[in-house]
Order: sequence, then C-alpha cells, then structure tokens
Amino acid sequence: MPTVSGEGPAAAGDAARVGLRMLLALTLSCLAFAARSVPFLIALTVVDLVLLWWLRSGQLSLRRELKAFCWQTLVILALYLVRFQDLSGLGTGFRVSWQLFLALLPSMVFVRTTSQTRIVQALNRVMPCRMAFVLSTCLKFAPHLLAEVRSIYEGQVLRGARILPRDLTKPWHWLDLLHCVVVPAVVQSMALAGNIALAARARDFGTQPKRTCWPGA
Amino acid sequence: MNPVVEPAGGLFRLSLKEALFIGFCAVFAVLGRMMLRLHLHISGHAMLVTIFFLLLARGSVRYRFAASFAGLLAGSASIFLGFAKNGPFMLVKYLLVALIIDGAGLLLPGLFRNYFLSALVGGCAGATKFFTEYSKNFMVGMDSTVNFQSSLLEAAGAIVFGVLGGLLVPVVIRRLKAYGVIS
Repeated sequence: MPTVSGEGPAAAGDAARVGLRMLLALTLSCLAFAARSVPFLIALTVVDLVLLWWLRSGQLSLRRELKAFCWQTLVILALYLVRFQDLSGLGTGFRVSWQLFLALLPSMVFVRTTSQTRIVQALNRVMPCRMAFVLSTCLKFAPHLLAEVRSIYEGQVLRGARILPRDLTKPWHWLDLLHCVVVPAVVQSMALAGNIALAARARDFGTQPKRTCWPGA
Repeated sequence: MNPVVEPAGGLFRLSLKEALFIGFCAVFAVLGRMMLRLHLHISGHAMLVTIFFLLLARGSVRYRFAASFAGLLAGSASIFLGFAKNGPFMLVKYLLVALIIDGAGLLLPGLFRNYFLSALVGGCAGATKFFTEYSKNFMVGMDSTVNFQSSLLEAAGAIVFGVLGGLLVPVVIRRLKAYGVIS
C-alpha cells in the first residue's frame, strides 16, 4: 500500500492561513478579557469591525449575537442595580457586558467565514493525528447520522409513538423519545463507528505513526 | 493476507471503533446543544444533553478517560464550528464536566446502572458551571458579589438539568446492554 505523505504546498499554505486566522481570533478574544478601560474597548471594537470588513462578511448576520448581547446586558445591569442600589454600577455593568461580547465575536466571525474542511486541515497541525482523524470523521458523518435519526424519528411517529412536538410539551412523553429515538440512534452510531473503523483498518490506518495518504491526493 | 480485525479497547487503550463512538457522542452533544436552543431563557438547559452524552460515552466503553476524550472533542468542535457562546472557555466547560464524570467513574463502580449515583454525578458535573462562569466574569473584572450571584443563578439551572441528564443514562445503558451492543 502506498503510504507517502502527500500534502501539496497549496494545501499547506491554506492550512497556514487558516491557522493564522484562528490564532488571530483567539488573540482578540483573549484581549477582550484583558481590556479594562473604555478606550481599549473602543480600539478593540474597531479592530473587530476591521476584521469583519476584511473577511468580506457582508452577508454575515449579527442579529442573533446582538440580541444575545442585549439580553446579557439587561441581566448584568439588573444585577449591578441590585448590588449597588443606585445607578453608579451601571457603567461598569455595561463595560463587562461589552467585554463579554467582544470575547465571543472574533471566534464567531472566524467560524462563519471559514469552511469546515479548512478548519480540520488546520487542526491536523495542532492535534495528534488520530484525534484529528476522529474529529474530522465524526463531523463528516454527522449529517449522515442526523439523517438516520430523522428517519428513525419519522418511522416511530408512523408507528404511533408520542414524540411529536405537541406531545413533547408533556414531560411524561420524554421517556418515549428516549426509548424510541435516542436508544436506536445510539445503536446506529455504534454500528457506524464499527464500520468506519473496519474500513480504516482495511486501509492500514494506524500502522504508521504519522498520518499518510495516497500520493497526489 | 492478514484478516482485517479491529482490536478491542481496554481500560487504558482506546480502539478506533470506541474512539469514533466517543466522537459521535461528542458531536451529538454539540448538535444537541445547538438544537436545544429553545429560547426558554432558563440558564443551563444545554447541560442536559452535554451531561447525558458525556456520561453515555463513559458508560458505553471501558476506557477510563472516555468522558475527557469526548469533552475534548466536543469542546474543540464547538469552538471552531460556531456553537461556542463563550469562545475558548467552551473547551474548559466541557473538560471540567468530563473530568468530574471520569473521576466518578473511577471511584464509583456501578455508577452507570444506578439512578441515584448517575443523578448525583450529573448534578456535580452541572455544578462546574459555577466555576467556569465565575472565572470568566472574574477575568472581565465583574464585581465579586454580582459575579457570585450571577454564577450561582447560572449554576442552579445547570445542576437541575445535570441531574435530569444523569437520570436518563441508566435507562439507555440498560437497554444497550439488553441488546448486547455493549458488554
């Protein structure tokens, strides 16, 4: 079996670029935790906005994140109001909420603007190859597994299981969901794991200490 | 020609099949978390799926650090796939829950068949949310009293849902054993 490692220079360059973006997102997240003054936070917000523009994420919707930010700000401000019994803590509360929002924004932008394949390629460089293989394989097969779960669910609904959304509003029907959908789904995922492992073993997976692939792949 | 046989795993060794099964549990934990965004505005309800799948990963294979492995995979997946509300803290969140489960798995034999023990471990694992929330808010400089109250509020919900997630595990493990899927 040919076991020549085969990552071309283009793929290596791509992985390096994705790795750089990943590092940038993590650094900006960490900086948000370190920012304690308003000018620092403004500067960080500007950097994040420039990042958004640079990644050409015009169609990227921030509505959900802004909604979460508003909700989080309300909770934090209410807690600060209760704590200080006057309006003096509101400024600090808002700053804290702002910091938390800036901590999550770069990661969110990164994952929305980078394809899953490229992320996994980059992960291959920082994770043990076996772990990266397991992670990428599981993510690759997740849609297949979800389709299986959906067909199990539909089959059980046709058989009369009380697992429709309106049935699940009653907590005593949740056990039906467990027995009719979760257990078969777990059995199915175990069978799928066995098949994938066997296929990988048939291709000599794990015989070499480093990950290998067909030449030119 | 050598027959293609997948070697079995053990207490300290993880076979590829088991690793992939644990990976699927991790993916289910992340996807379940994503689907469970029911807009209930109840803190910690995502802990139900997290604790359920991490306990299931540990209860279904013999490997001693199965939950930690699942937590590591789930954390990595959620950080880089956009389900991470808390950025890099997500990995710590999953890992703390997983470490409690692995620790309990080492100390309490028969944990995954006992409803009380599973619920207890689920609750303890849910309680880790207090520490992650507290340290996250501490790092951004939140007032300590507000931080304590806010973290307690978050952790209370996580404990309730952790107990619920723990209670579901013995049911599933028993069914899997009855089908002969796990030994």
